[in-house]
Amino acid sequence: MRRIGYILLYVCLSLVALFQIFPILWLFMFSLKTNQEIFAGNPFAFPTDPKWENYLKVFDGGIGTYFWNSIWITVVATVLTILVASMATFAITRMKWKLSGLVLGLIMVGLMIPIHSALIPLYNMFLNANLIDNPLSIVITYVTYNLPITVMILLGFYTTIPREIEEAAIIDGSSIHRLFFRIILPISAPIMSTTVIINMIYNWNEFVFVNTFISSDKYKTLTVGIQNFIGQYMTDWGAIGATLVISVLPIIIAFLFFSDKIMEGITASAVKG
Amino acid sequence: MGLCDMNKVMSNKWIIFLYTFPALLLIVVLIVIPLILSGYFGLMDWDGIGAMEFIGLNNYIAALQDSKFWESTLHSFLLALFSAISLIGYLAVALILASKIKGANLLRKIYLIPMLLSSVAIAQLWIKIYNPSNGMLNSILMWFGIDNPPAWLADPSIVLYAIFIPIIWQYAGFYILIYYAALKNIPESLIEAAKIDGATPLQIALKIKVPLIMNVFKVTIVLSIVGSLKYFDLIYVMTSGGPNGASEVMASYMYKLAFSSYNFGYGSAIGFLLLIITLIVTVIIQKLTASKDEIQY
Amino acid sequence: MKLKKAITIMVVFLVSVVILAACGGDDEDKESESASGAKTVKFMHLWPEGSSAQHHKVVNEIIADFEKENPDIKIDLEVLSNEQYKDKIKVLSTSDELPDVGMTWAAGYMEPYVKGNMYAPLDDIVESDLSDSFVSGTTEAFSVDDTTYGLPLELNISTIFYNKKIFDEYGLEEPQTLDELKEIVTTLNENGVNPIALGNRDAWTGSMWYMYLANRLGGDEDVLTKAIEREGSFEDPALVQAADEVQKLVNEDSFVQGFNGLADEEAKSMFMGEQAAMYLIATWDLPNFTTNEDIPQEFRDSVGYFKFPSVDGMGDTNSYVGGPGVGLFVSENSDVKEEAKAFTSYFVQQWGERAVTDVGIIPATKVNVDSLDLPQMYVDVLNDLNSATNITLYADVQMSADVAQVHLDMIQALFGGEITPEEFAKTQEDALAAE
Repeated sequence: MRRIGYILLYVCLSLVALFQIFPILWLFMFSLKTNQEIFAGNPFAFPTDPKWENYLKVFDGGIGTYFWNSIWITVVATVLTILVASMATFAITRMKWKLSGLVLGLIMVGLMIPIHSALIPLYNMFLNANLIDNPLSIVITYVTYNLPITVMILLGFYTTIPREIEEAAIIDGSSIHRLFFRIILPISAPIMSTTVIINMIYNWNEFVFVNTFISSDKYKTLTVGIQNFIGQYMTDWGAIGATLVISVLPIIIAFLFFSDKIMEGITASAVKG
Repeated sequence: MGLCDMNKVMSNKWIIFLYTFPALLLIVVLIVIPLILSGYFGLMDWDGIGAMEFIGLNNYIAALQDSKFWESTLHSFLLALFSAISLIGYLAVALILASKIKGANLLRKIYLIPMLLSSVAIAQLWIKIYNPSNGMLNSILMWFGIDNPPAWLADPSIVLYAIFIPIIWQYAGFYILIYYAALKNIPESLIEAAKIDGATPLQIALKIKVPLIMNVFKVTIVLSIVGSLKYFDLIYVMTSGGPNGASEVMASYMYKLAFSSYNFGYGSAIGFLLLIITLIVTVIIQKLTASKDEIQY
Repeated sequence: MKLKKAITIMVVFLVSVVILAACGGDDEDKESESASGAKTVKFMHLWPEGSSAQHHKVVNEIIADFEKENPDIKIDLEVLSNEQYKDKIKVLSTSDELPDVGMTWAAGYMEPYVKGNMYAPLDDIVESDLSDSFVSGTTEAFSVDDTTYGLPLELNISTIFYNKKIFDEYGLEEPQTLDELKEIVTTLNENGVNPIALGNRDAWTGSMWYMYLANRLGGDEDVLTKAIEREGSFEDPALVQAADEVQKLVNEDSFVQGFNGLADEEAKSMFMGEQAAMYLIATWDLPNFTTNEDIPQEFRDSVGYFKFPSVDGMGDTNSYVGGPGVGLFVSENSDVKEEAKAFTSYFVQQWGERAVTDVGIIPATKVNVDSLDLPQMYVDVLNDLNSATNITLYADVQMSADVAQVHLDMIQALFGGEITPEEFAKTQEDALAAE
């Protein structure tokens, strides 16, 4: 009886897995097809004559710079977001002060703002600060707009940290900074890995801000590069597919790495606890 | 050294300032100020070009009488409802993955893959799935002998629900990941103790694990509802809110007004109302989910 | 203590990065101005290399030539795709930061910019450098109150393209009347072939069908244009009847399934994938049916076209829906307005012939094509264009952005059978009257 239950469970899980892995496979096949095959052909069919030149076309389009920009902007913004968010979350949840609720509320308002409402005021501010067409405008916008969600995710974890850990540390004479950097941050490694993954994905795939604030090719990112293939008269779907595949690879690698970190972090904190 | 000392250390004003200042500075400058500005633009008759004219609350009054605005608001709320309900499913998946079954590690990675794709990629995928004549979905339906499968994105009575599916699916990985991390954080000793007491895996899940991550679950409810109310991406790429507004949501309506119809003042007013509505909903959720045994700190 | 320092340093670092970057931005600006006294003209266009390779290449060649001839002017280029271009221009205009030269659409699109004093009048160029070089009627679409604010680059008419192979297979001929077209639809449907590809998610495609029917039913009078210009009513019997004809076409399954959910791009791909026999589109797509090497030769050879048929013996088939596509504007507040104008003028002059030979589209400037080796279909279209009795500008371009949105929504609702022809007409009449 129990056995049948397990088999059923695995059948279900595998079916879902199949469904979830399908997009990547589909995207890959898509990137090797011609426009005709994509629209007229059987959607499940393999490309009859794989068009590897779609990839060449993409690399000819000067994707190298875009690629590098995507990487450094994503990394810098993610690191800054998590540091700033962790500090704020620590102060809000673990320290005692009257205005903590208000500050948290303010941060939460950031969750609610529709991007297109903020776009024009933001552009104007960056223009006055001389930050238009400067990658810094992108980095600080990413940090700010990902802060609320990062804080929210960390919040659930920080509230569950046992009081005793802090007490022990303080009684041992450690400073707050030491407590935060040496104890709180390490034990929050698993949840931090989660926020790293989420931040990475958001920053990597973000489009509207880059398109609006950046005009030089040398600062543009990969998502804007993809738009290069969507045209007024003719859209080259195969090349779009190829760009999408290229753009998703680094994020998959990073994801697999941090995904394991979630596990490691837990083992580490378990040893300490 | 005593608790008194502890309190003193943990309420050091300078440190609190140091730790919250960077976040506050960024939020106030890049979110709160633009927000106030957008509310201010809402008081203007402005096409986004040249001079603006102050017209008081007219835009806001017009919005409240605008049936299209209310329709898109209803759509946004429906999306929020479905998103919130789907959380239960994601929690169930996370519970299975976090329990010690064989292959959980691999399955978890596979499950999260769609989350990595950009909205452009997801939109392309689902446009191909929904294509009425040679899309994957209708190919399968016809294979099962259904002769006249619907045109998913063209039928005004279906399109809204058809487009909800990819939106909700898009975030599956996100929530599973959060639940998974929270579940993995539960001390092993608690679960072992329950096992010794003879609890079944289901009992452990419902009586121990779920209550322990309730805080996280509440946060995700807020995230999913707030996220849904201001949702924009896939709607814009897949249907542009059409046909004839059948899949319009608040954010896409606001975008259309401000960026396509050159009604920037009115669009800003809608954007500001969106924020107010979201704010009210969030406060209500907070009140509803606030439990008596709130973890104290 | 060390950690406390570290944190303080971090915060100082964060703040200083912001300040430094602000100064850095200043430096860059100075640099670009001081470089050997050269002036920089910022130019934005919407033909990215990935999707409009030929357009992109010709633009770059023209820029290179211009810079060679004018060593003291540098062109600073930004290329965006269509939607992104529109969005960005919108944001830039709110801060009065339009590029020195950019692309614009005619009539309803450009009007707010002209009224907001964003576009510079270009009459001086039209009357001097470019006198008598535009096809008549094209600059008018870019004029407000008799002043020209944009220089058109393309001229399009819409025709129905069809797949000769499919037509031959079922013994079909090019239709002269709407009834003949309907018979073709019936035959194709009986044989399980999609008759007409239509991507009405971008409702301007459906609008072209409606406009043609209105044009034919309205006879010599351009009732639609009159209604939009408020010299007539949208509830004119011809305009209501045209809406009724649209619904009849829909009811006879003339269009591919689910057209209201398809983008034009998808419909086009269906036609090009030989999944549908006909496709109404403007001549900007000519390269795809003639010279574009990315499309299989076999398909390009099998494409023909015919004029939109007459309806019940009414209408002149030499009357077209079409008009100029994009044009160039010069920013009124540009610091380098004279240089920008010089570039614009140069660009338009150079664009004409290269657009014909290298891109394969029809420019808005007069070009002597006799000496050029051109595809037959291109020559035929050009001849039709030259003998056109009337070109009605796309309704959504004629209308102000506000009303255009109502029009497009109503087109979707009409094609989707959600409203009656009378409601269709009344809603638009109300919107036009409310302006």
